[in-house]
Amino acid sequence: MTPKSTISGRHGEVAVAAEGLIKRFKTGRTTIEVLKGVDFDARHGDLTMVMGPSGSGKSTLIAALSGLLRPDEGKVAALDQPNLWKLSDGKIDRFRLEHCGFIFQGFNLFPALTALQQVTTVLGYQGAEKGEARQRAKAALEEVGLGPRMNQRPSELSGGEKQRVAIARCLAKNPQLLFADEPTSALDGENGQVVVRLLRRAATEHGAAVVCVTHDPRLEAWADRIIRIEDGRILEDQRRTPDPNATLSH
Amino acid sequence: MSLALSTLIYEWRRYMAAVVALAFSGLLILAQVGMFMGIGRAFTAQIDRARADVMILAPGATGLGNGPSGVPRRILPTIYRHPDVVQVAPLDGSGGRFQNIVPADEAAEAQNPNQRTGAEGQGGGQQGGERRRMEFVNVTVVDPIPGYVTVPTDYSDELLEALRRPYAVAVDETALRRLGVQLGDKALYNGKTIEIAAVTRGYPNMMQATLIMSRDTLRMLGEADTGPRVGPLMVKLRDASRADAVAAQLNAQAGGQYRAWTRTELARANANLMFQEQIIGVMLGFSVFLGLLIGIAITWQTLRGAIMANIKEFASLRALGVSMPSLRRVIMELSFWVGVAGILAAGALTWGVGLLAGANGVPMAFSAFWIGMVSVLLLIIAIASGFLSLGVLKNSQPADLLR
Ligand SMILES: Nc1ncnc2c1ncn2[C@@H]1O[C@H](COP(=O)(O)OP(=O)(O)OP(=O)(O)O)[C@@H](O)[C@H]1O
Ligand SMILES: [Mg+2]
Repeated sequence: MTPKSTISGRHGEVAVAAEGLIKRFKTGRTTIEVLKGVDFDARHGDLTMVMGPSGSGKSTLIAALSGLLRPDEGKVAALDQPNLWKLSDGKIDRFRLEHCGFIFQGFNLFPALTALQQVTTVLGYQGAEKGEARQRAKAALEEVGLGPRMNQRPSELSGGEKQRVAIARCLAKNPQLLFADEPTSALDGENGQVVVRLLRRAATEHGAAVVCVTHDPRLEAWADRIIRIEDGRILEDQRRTPDPNATLSH
Repeated sequence: MSLALSTLIYEWRRYMAAVVALAFSGLLILAQVGMFMGIGRAFTAQIDRARADVMILAPGATGLGNGPSGVPRRILPTIYRHPDVVQVAPLDGSGGRFQNIVPADEAAEAQNPNQRTGAEGQGGGQQGGERRRMEFVNVTVVDPIPGYVTVPTDYSDELLEALRRPYAVAVDETALRRLGVQLGDKALYNGKTIEIAAVTRGYPNMMQATLIMSRDTLRMLGEADTGPRVGPLMVKLRDASRADAVAAQLNAQAGGQYRAWTRTELARANANLMFQEQIIGVMLGFSVFLGLLIGIAITWQTLRGAIMANIKEFASLRALGVSMPSLRRVIMELSFWVGVAGILAAGALTWGVGLLAGANGVPMAFSAFWIGMVSVLLLIIAIASGFLSLGVLKNSQPADLLR
């Protein structure tokens, strides 16, 4: 195992916890309440799946947890920050830079950069030295199985490979919080399986708290915990034993 | 390589419009400056290559051929009296109507519109095929003695020998086409027959063509100065390095009748004359304004579009914690590189236009000063456009990536 896994000692500790989250959106004259007082927590080393019907507020929830979207009410405690939303915008940026990784449905890679550059760019902003950034980026790309494709640009990569670059971009930061929103829905079964295994590994080996929003019930096999959300409320919170050797059949 | 530079190089097509706009803004200004400077240099060529170390102009003159010209003939001997002076000669010149001589039958053919293209297709060979031309020309006089003060330094002895023949004239190669003549042709000047005995090189004729002839030829044509006033005096010194001192001494005894200039002093005054013309200042100012306006408008919109095309990528950087000021820096760097690309493109374009103009007898000249000024202007345009397009970064909402 790489030295990165030092924080795995925190397995089981709460990494992020939300209390009474309320988020409303105004559309025209009507206001809809998307999160209706959600209490939520996610632990280091867990792959926590958030599932629920479309429009139930899953994406809004992780946006509020990760410091991307300010909730109207409620509190988020994340890592050593007792109240994330009390921080200034600059400090929240800094918090995300240091601790958070994101994987989106789209891959959002700069067309001009090679896989390696995609990763080193972010590390550079984190303040890593050039040489160190390269080293970490290479290690991350090798971890996602893209060692040989390191110098390719997004246009030369398949969808699955692009998503793996996006994952490497997060993993290289060694984040303690990893948020994924439908990371597999643009991918076929095989590539989806590679991606979910990587998320699984980030939790198990790096001790990250991985929160993954998905529609796909087949991904449940890898989860430590499944949270079902409907209409802005948590319906069910179920702990289970993941099956790391599960396969995504079509 | 930085994100900004990689993006510009890899997605150059997206930024092409901005680069082209900057290039044309630069060309708009540089081509005009180049033309004016080219004209100015053609004027100063005469001074730069003169053998005179000191030139004596009328008191109010601000350059050769600008302001009152000529001095009283009486002062010629006073100048001579200065112990450093070895030669003094007045510049003389004239001007009039020039006509080429076309054999009658070919002239008729050439004048016939139905066959004109055929006639011109021969390229104006020595034996005719030229159309009849009538042009107004300037005449400048030299004393065709090797090394004499009125002879430009780059005139060869063969050229002077040719000019020593009666009724022989020299024209610059850039004027041949306009005058419709070739070396060796006969032509008419104010109704009198002259011969194109030599062709010079490097004396572009911008406004009017110039005929060079000997003082004797001008006299035989009946146009030499014989009155109480003569043209500016060309003065050769025993020791050229004394020019400043001698000019000062001559000026001290001028008594308001003339002003002595050193050659360098006069060349500088002549070069700057062009830009003191108000109309040129207005034209240039207008071009700068137009270039600025069009350059900014197009570069701004292009940058905006290009940033919008990558807005999701920028948003994902924001999600990962890259701060807004950092992204702004990327945009500013990008616009800087667009500016650099624009400067290079403007250079290439202007160079091409300069070649084209030079081949057509309008030589352009560029100075480091103006190239620097235009480069700075293009950079300002690019960076201002970058500033204006910073606003689109507001659209890089990372929360929008979560849906
Ligand atoms: N910026 C916004 N402005 C207005 N309404 C919004 C905004 N963002 C989300 N909503 C609304 O909030 C509700 C929940 O959105 P959210 O994206 O959290 O759903 P979701 O559970 O992620 O759904 P899906 O599974 O389709 O992604 C939806 O009804 C949506 O229309
Ligand atoms: Mg969603």
